[in-house]
Amino acid sequence: MSSPEPARVKRSTPAPRRAAAASDAGMSGQDKANFIKAMMDGVKPKAAAGAKTKPAAVKPKKVVLLRKIPAPVRVTRPSNPASDEALALAAALEAKLAAGDLGALTPQAVQALMRALCRFYSANVGAGDKYPVVEGRMSVTGTDAMIVCGALLKAVDLQVFELGMWQSWSAV
Amino acid sequence: MAEQFIGKLSEFSDGDRQILRIGEDEIGVFRHEGEFYAYSNFCLHQGGPACEGLTIANVEERLRPDKTSMGLHFTNDMNFVCPWHGYEYDMKTGCHVKDKKVKLRKYDVVTRGNDVYVVA
Repeated sequence: MSSPEPARVKRSTPAPRRAAAASDAGMSGQDKANFIKAMMDGVKPKAAAGAKTKPAAVKPKKVVLLRKIPAPVRVTRPSNPASDEALALAAALEAKLAAGDLGALTPQAVQALMRALCRFYSANVGAGDKYPVVEGRMSVTGTDAMIVCGALLKAVDLQVFELGMWQSWSAV
Repeated sequence: MAEQFIGKLSEFSDGDRQILRIGEDEIGVFRHEGEFYAYSNFCLHQGGPACEGLTIANVEERLRPDKTSMGLHFTNDMNFVCPWHGYEYDMKTGCHVKDKKVKLRKYDVVTRGNDVYVVA
């Protein structure tokens, strides 16, 4: 009778070979030492590792300013009597509009004011004084702007296409 | 979460904005009517720069009692608009103006003396 073959025990890789493996991986000396220590000691479970170390203090995060977006600049100049009168008229019209009094001005009055303002603004732009036609983005709604722009183009028999061509070809 | 110093109060004029990276987060800080608001700069629609677009007041249509229109008017509620596809958020809450369930992550802003901190 032959004796039974002893059970084979799978052994872990000996330490010298582990060191050789670490060396092959291109590790530094300290990394190798840490690697071997970890292999010999085994990796500690998170809970056990946490129990022995103090809770880490909250580190301040790195704050990087990516960009600043400044508030829109308001155009203000010293006033004069004509401007004061215009501002008073504008305030009165805004009050009428807020009260729902859409008939406060006759069509002739609106046409005269629109004509004068168009010509006055255009003359300023032509002279190089190109300021925004209304203050900020919330003076008139997009709908208001499109209604007035469309009406002005129609009044002078121009199409949006022609406006686009003029804007792309001119320097104004 | 800890207070992160972002600058001096005097560096923020009313209407100014700053886009900051704090740790892993990208945050837009607004100063509007003296108050600070800070939100994640990632739009909930498609990840656009939510805090870098237009700031514009809410628009409402006013009606007479008989329901005829008095036209469109701006209200006092300020919104900011993602420049990619126009998702519009309420400045004070970070909620989408149409669907309040859609809400940007909000960060608290603390002022202490002349220093401004974001809690992140």
